[in-house]
Amino acid sequence: MTHTIALTAPATWNSARVDAAHTGERTLDQFLKSVERRALRMAELATSNRDEALDLVQDAMFGFVRHYAAKPAGEWAPLFYRVLDSRLNDWHRRRNVRSRWLAVWTHNADDDDERDEIAQAPDSNDPGPLLRLAGDEAGQALNAALARLPLRQRQAFLLRVWEGFDVAATASTMRCSEGSVKTHLSRALAALRHELEDHA
Amino acid sequence: MKTSSMNTSGLPQWTDQAKQLLDESARNLDAAALSRLNRARQAALAQRAPRRRAAWLFLPAGFAGACALLLAVDVWHARRPQTAALPAPPAAAVAGNALNSADLDMIASGDDMEMMQDLDFYAWLDAQDQGNSG
Repeated sequence: MTHTIALTAPATWNSARVDAAHTGERTLDQFLKSVERRALRMAELATSNRDEALDLVQDAMFGFVRHYAAKPAGEWAPLFYRVLDSRLNDWHRRRNVRSRWLAVWTHNADDDDERDEIAQAPDSNDPGPLLRLAGDEAGQALNAALARLPLRQRQAFLLRVWEGFDVAATASTMRCSEGSVKTHLSRALAALRHELEDHA
Repeated sequence: MKTSSMNTSGLPQWTDQAKQLLDESARNLDAAALSRLNRARQAALAQRAPRRRAAWLFLPAGFAGACALLLAVDVWHARRPQTAALPAPPAAAVAGNALNSADLDMIASGDDMEMMQDLDFYAWLDAQDQGNSG
């Protein structure tokens, strides 16, 4: 009887461990599957280049799996976007250094302080800038407007509006204060509205 | 006073449409991009999997190796010829066999080697001398 217990106990434990590992891997796979498309679109908006965007998303996946896969699944989304945000910042910094060396200065308003983005609050009856655009045109206009936003403003907009993160989660993901998130978002909304209204 | 119509998240209403457009753009990614995303995901997951699989593989392999080593040592011990303990040599023989420092000096010096080779002759000569004198 004692032998039976001694032999079966580790087998049960191993089986449980293997099952848990497989379940964990499946959960991780499903999580990555659920965020990869949006991550690619975010990276694409930041780089305007599909290949570079794919490389950045792959880097983010590697970094996330290496550092945060052991964390509870409920914390994965902000952590994944934190890794992606970090990769996008690095990419942005490298591009700026390259641009400086090439002495090409483009006034693409990467400095948040360059724009005076005092939000012009619309009338409550205003349907908004996108409704005046139809179908594909609206999508293209939004893409173009988002691509022109400074990185931090765009990230604040995408994380708050698209991912649905609250201000605190967005601040944690972007590693900045909640006040900064509010400022970035306010400027992003004003700039997008302005761009889209011009387009319409 | 101008006020913006807000959604439940406290964001302007038009951002709901922006969200829909972004969702649509993510849904409509082409097959090539999806394929690369799939490969990237698999590669990211693979970097984690081998470490754990290797640990599971090495555990029984290590145990089997240790058992084989123990078995080999046991078999080698069992087959080794059992030699009886030699009796202790008598104390006199030990004393006689022991080389003193004078012997070592003699062996070390090459000059006396000829004399050592004719040791029997010198012993006989010594005995003759003692006989003659006695």
